[in-house]
Amino acid sequence: MTQALAADVVMLEARGVNTWYPNGHHALRNVDLTVHQGEVVVIMGPSGSGKSTFLRTFNGLEDFQTGSIIIDGINIGDDLRQRDAIRREVGMVFQQFNLFPHLTVLDNLTLAPVLVRGRAKTQVERQALELLERVGIHEQAHKYPGQLSGGQQQRVAIARSLCMEPRLMLFDEPTSALDPEMVQEVLQVMQELAAGGMTMVVVTHEVRFARQVADRVVLMADGEVLEIAAPEQFFSNPQHPRSQQFLSQIN
Amino acid sequence: MRARIPWWRHRRVLPWLIQAAAALLVLLVISALISNLVVNLSAAGLLLSWRWLGTPAGFDLGETLLPYGAGDPYWLALLSGLLNSLRVIAAALVGATALGTAVGLASFSRNALLRSLARVYVEVIRNCPLLMQLLFWYFVVFLGLPDGASALHLPGVVLAKSGLHLGPAALVDGVWRAPIRLSLEFTALLWALVVYSGAFIAEVVRGGVQAVPPGQWEAARSLGLRPRDSLARIVLPQALRVIVPGLNNQYIALAKNSSLAVAVGYGDLYSVAETTLNQTGRAIEVVLIVLGSYLLIDLAISALMNGLNRLVQLHER
Amino acid sequence: MSSSRHQQLPPQEQLSALETLRLACFANPLDGLISLALISAVLAAAWQLLRWALLQAQWGVIAANSTLLALGRYPEPQRWRLWLLLWLLSTVAGLSWGLLRRQSWPRNDLLATAVLTGLTLWAPAAVAQPLAVQAHWWGLTAWLLLLRSSAGAMAARVPPPVLQCWALLWPVVYVSGMGLIAGGLGLVRVPSPLWGGLLLTLIEACFAMLLCLPLGLALALGRSSGLPLLRMGAVAYIEFIRGAPLITLLFLGQNILGFLLPGGLSPDRIWRAAWVLTVFASAYVAEALRAGLAAIPRGQVEAARSLGLNTAQTLSHVVLPQAIKVALPALVGQFISLLQDTTLLSLIGLMELLGTARTVLANPEFLGRNAEVYVVLALLFWCCCAALGLGSRALEVRLNRQRSVAVR
Repeated sequence: MTQALAADVVMLEARGVNTWYPNGHHALRNVDLTVHQGEVVVIMGPSGSGKSTFLRTFNGLEDFQTGSIIIDGINIGDDLRQRDAIRREVGMVFQQFNLFPHLTVLDNLTLAPVLVRGRAKTQVERQALELLERVGIHEQAHKYPGQLSGGQQQRVAIARSLCMEPRLMLFDEPTSALDPEMVQEVLQVMQELAAGGMTMVVVTHEVRFARQVADRVVLMADGEVLEIAAPEQFFSNPQHPRSQQFLSQIN
Repeated sequence: MRARIPWWRHRRVLPWLIQAAAALLVLLVISALISNLVVNLSAAGLLLSWRWLGTPAGFDLGETLLPYGAGDPYWLALLSGLLNSLRVIAAALVGATALGTAVGLASFSRNALLRSLARVYVEVIRNCPLLMQLLFWYFVVFLGLPDGASALHLPGVVLAKSGLHLGPAALVDGVWRAPIRLSLEFTALLWALVVYSGAFIAEVVRGGVQAVPPGQWEAARSLGLRPRDSLARIVLPQALRVIVPGLNNQYIALAKNSSLAVAVGYGDLYSVAETTLNQTGRAIEVVLIVLGSYLLIDLAISALMNGLNRLVQLHER
Repeated sequence: MSSSRHQQLPPQEQLSALETLRLACFANPLDGLISLALISAVLAAAWQLLRWALLQAQWGVIAANSTLLALGRYPEPQRWRLWLLLWLLSTVAGLSWGLLRRQSWPRNDLLATAVLTGLTLWAPAAVAQPLAVQAHWWGLTAWLLLLRSSAGAMAARVPPPVLQCWALLWPVVYVSGMGLIAGGLGLVRVPSPLWGGLLLTLIEACFAMLLCLPLGLALALGRSSGLPLLRMGAVAYIEFIRGAPLITLLFLGQNILGFLLPGGLSPDRIWRAAWVLTVFASAYVAEALRAGLAAIPRGQVEAARSLGLNTAQTLSHVVLPQAIKVALPALVGQFISLLQDTTLLSLIGLMELLGTARTVLANPEFLGRNAEVYVVLALLFWCCCAALGLGSRALEVRLNRQRSVAVR
């Protein structure tokens, strides 16, 4: 009952988005996507298919020329204040972690809530320590990022985004830069996050994660969305020929 | 919808407004300066004019490449100064490159003594002001040279208080005579520039060789090349990619440093310009000529080094 | 690069001192020959130098002019103000040193302490200063070292905001120091033509060092900005300044600045030169800082922006703290050049250290004492520049150890 209600709230709506790079390359061609609250959407596709570009338009890191993107009721337009508002509500996790190396783990988490939300430092610190405990690294709170392993750094990065209490989380290939033995600890954290009801858009090559966690899988190629399907259908019976080709390549 | 976004929040409008404001500010400052300049210059009766360039300069230069005398006009004096600058710059470029390369490579020698001497030379020279070194060389070393029969002479080279004599030299009535005589001022300036820039170039060369991955040395050695061949055939060609841009900076610095000639009385462009200004009061014109000339010299060096750079970079492909 | 190569070296076998020497200098006949030639050349040069320094040089010229070289013609009755300034400087320096190092006394600090103590005991006596002046210097050094150790002990209890703003104390010290030097506000005025020697060198160098940082930062930000007009403006400024020899800019400052400003607004010769030095240094500082900015990966900015930080917050909390650390060695290099470049002021007739030295040498009484004066000056400059260089290298090593800058 509650799930059905939540599913009706649209968190992200992209309509007819077109992006040209400054060099003229048509990176996104008329892409549409709707994400409901509490949903986990996994975007897959060969490299260069525009999936990262698409994800990065959702918080204004990448520009788009035509079309519209509405996130949590806020339109991404030319208004700088609305962009800032969207970035406050949307968390992002990068392939390269992008932790701030000159700050301790704890300061990485507290920087934005204190600066952007104007919250009291002691209160944010308490919340940050709880989050670090949730991702399993609260003993490292006073170390610098350079002293942590890749998997630990990525979990800190997730906690850093969560500390802003986002309504939507974006993951841009969060496990691609990790050594194989560290992939699972990060996916574990993401899975728990999804189970907690977080709305997530994930660009990844991890098929097992997509099968187990995703509500829907999106296949992109050459800047276009070719197929959107539930994971069981997508992986067992893909409709589009490019989906079949892609799946045969990664298996 | 779009029109209703206020300008200070508009993503496309705001950058242009910022730039327009900055440009306006700069234009305002510049026009204020220029209007002051015009007011002050006309009050002093010195409005921009180039006619004075044709009037006789009335001062002599110690040495010139062109035939020049005190009765010749200012433009010829300035041109002679420019040629004097170019002469010392060109000679110093060659000398400093040779010295710097030798010292830079010496810092990789197996001989510990040679290595540490190279280090000491670089550290001593880099941490002393060039002007002071120049004054030291000129007043202490070169003016302290003996003259006449006791001058330092090697076959073809005689260094005496009267200058540097090149070619077969002979002592006539206690005065050295040779096909080429370079003044003591020129020699001291050249020496100071070579020694000073040599230290910086040595650092550029050392940095360039160090930037070549150690694997390249190992590969050369495993192919059985002798250390000298590994350096000359494998490492140096790769190091040049790092060295050439660094050399460009050092060469430009050297060209600019040559303007310290005024301290020892060598008639380079700047020192002629200073005398000219003192005599004519034409500050703006003189400064424009000097800055323009150095800009041209810098551009010429950069163009030359960019050409060299392309050659070196192409080498790799 | 070089450090990683050091780590690849195998552990050194224990060799006898003689064997090490043989390998280092006499590995083969050619090496031996080179070494022998170098040794004899170095020994001959050292012997000549020593003979000159101990027997021929007449060091009296230094002692006779030490006050002139240090202060120029700063009037005797007002010199207590300079002493006061020295006490202020040694207070701030001692506190800064202690707060930086806390309770640890690394080898470099011990070395610096030893050198400082030695200099204090030797130099004033060597230039034949009266005992009272010598004692004054001892007091200054003792006070500095005392503060160094007590501040180090208390550093842990100093709140972090104080430490973060500590660097801002130096401009305050400069302004109050200039107040003491120049007078006014009840103090007798000492006009700027009376400032000279090392005092003037330091006034000019410190002015330019303090001001070229904010100016250079603005230019570096302009040059790396996405706004084409700002970028072009910054490039034009930087390339114009870097294309011109400093002496021609100083010449421009002395001869044209008066025409460019409305009558009466033009600063006097000393401040005109200081502004030219600032303008000159800021172009080079901008390039050093730009290299630092360029070294910060784009992901750092993207992460900061996705967390909701605005441009200013991203710069001040994420980009600049890292970029400045990267740029630090280059910045110190620029400061060293700047200190050396102050000697050019003597060419436009200012009586800074080198200018004062040249007036001393023009005095018939000290004619021909060139070597003595220039050697002492060279040593002075060399020590200052080498100390700056060593300090920056120590800082670099420490920052590298912290791994506190993102790497691509």
